This record gives sequence, structure tokens and C-alpha cells, in this order.
Amino acid sequence: MVLTVLAGLSSTFAGQYLVPLVLSLALLKFIGVAFNFMEMRKAQIMWRVLIIGYLAVFSIVLLLIY
Amino acid sequence: MSTEQNKTYQNFLYPPGGILLWIIILLELITFAGVLVAMAYNASIEPEIFHTSRLQLNVTIGTINTVVLLTSGLFMAAAVHSFKLSDKQKASNYLLFTILLGLTFLVLKSIEYSSKIDAGLTIDTNLFYSYYWMLTVFHVIHVLVGLVILVVIYTKIKKSSKPIALLDLESGAAFWHLCDLIWLLLFPIIYLIF
Repeated sequence: MVLTVLAGLSSTFAGQYLVPLVLSLALLKFIGVAFNFMEMRKAQIMWRVLIIGYLAVFSIVLLLIY
Repeated sequence: MSTEQNKTYQNFLYPPGGILLWIIILLELITFAGVLVAMAYNASIEPEIFHTSRLQLNVTIGTINTVVLLTSGLFMAAAVHSFKLSDKQKASNYLLFTILLGLTFLVLKSIEYSSKIDAGLTIDTNLFYSYYWMLTVFHVIHVLVGLVILVVIYTKIKKSSKPIALLDLESGAAFWHLCDLIWLLLFPIIYLIF
């Protein structure tokens, strides 16, 4: 919840660091939900690699665009 | 039982929620990511339109909706955990909270949509709003489908005559968490960074 509020506030003060900061917060929450709520930390390692890989590719492409 | 379950999860073909659901989850995430990347690319070409339009969005409602969905995900995870401990009463209670929070999300979304429509900001207003409406309505459809699944699971848990299988509950939970994951990507990109 704290990460969510931080992300909402950061859009008003983060300046040039807005995109990396907001993306980082979103990725942390995404990993939290996938690994804890969805119990993927108990899954076979390839699933975790797939999830992290997906996030890495998505983030890199977005950062390249910006 | 718990140790056996963990061993099952260690098999690549048996992730929590089932492999079929996870194939669907990954395909959905890839689809949404593709559209979000396209949106970001178009924002880089027309930054002023995207920035001006983004400022018209209600970040407060978006933030509240994020908290609502995350909390619903927490209750969903608690429901699955309680079910594994054979506490069906707790599981059904947590599931009910999950459903109520899902409905809260839809109510807030409706308020947001009606204000946009009243202001004349529809899908053909500009390219930003084409993406906004397309992405968020598609997400709302997922939430609606998820709620139907949760209601079916809830009624099955309440029925003691024909208990629901753990895999079915986990699959329903995984689909609900998918709605959360999609929103965690949509909210920052649509509401915060343009």
C-alpha cells in the first residue's frame, strides 16, 4: 500500500526520475503479488525466471522509449 | 499435505493455479504489455497531447483503486490459505471480502468513466483516450469475469455436499490476481508517467 501511495505522490515531484521511479515501484508490487499472493516463489524456478524476464523486457523497452 | 503440495509446485507442469491458467496469464500480460509499449511509443511522438490528457485523469481514484485491488488480492490469498487448512468458514469469509472489494473497484471505475463521458472525453477524443478507454475497459471486463468466477467458487465452498477442489480454487484465485497484475501495469503508465 505504501508503494502505491508513493507512486501516486511521485508523479508530482520526481521530475526526470519519474519514469524509472514509478516503474520500479510498479515492478516491486508486481513481484510481490506474483511471488507471494500467487505463491510463485514455491513454483519451479523456470516460472520465476519467466516472470522476472517478462518484467525485465517490458521495463527495458519502456525505458528505451523514454 | 503442505510438503506434498510444495513438491507438486516444483514440477514445471504444475505451478500454483495450474499450467493452463498460467499460459493464459502470460499471454494476457504479453498482450497488455504490447499495447502499453505502443501507447508509450505514441506518447513519445505526441508528448503534449498525452501529457495534457493524462493530467485530466483522476490519480486519486486510480490510487484508491490500486489499494482496493491489492487488498482484494490479500484477502484472496488468505482465502486460499484458509482453504488449504480446511477452514472453509474463514475461506468463504475472505472470499466474500475479495468479492466486495472487486465490486468497490467497479463502482469507483464507473464514477471515473461517467465523469469522463460527462466531460466529453470518449474513445475518439484523441489517441491518448483511445488507449485509455481500450485498456481500462478491457481490464474491467477481466474484473467482471473474475468476479463471476469468484461468486461461483464462493457458492461451491458454501455447499458442503459437493466441495470444490483445491486446484479449482487456486485457478480462480490466479485469474483474480491476474486482474491485479494487469492494473499494476496500467495504473502507473496511464495515470502517472506521461
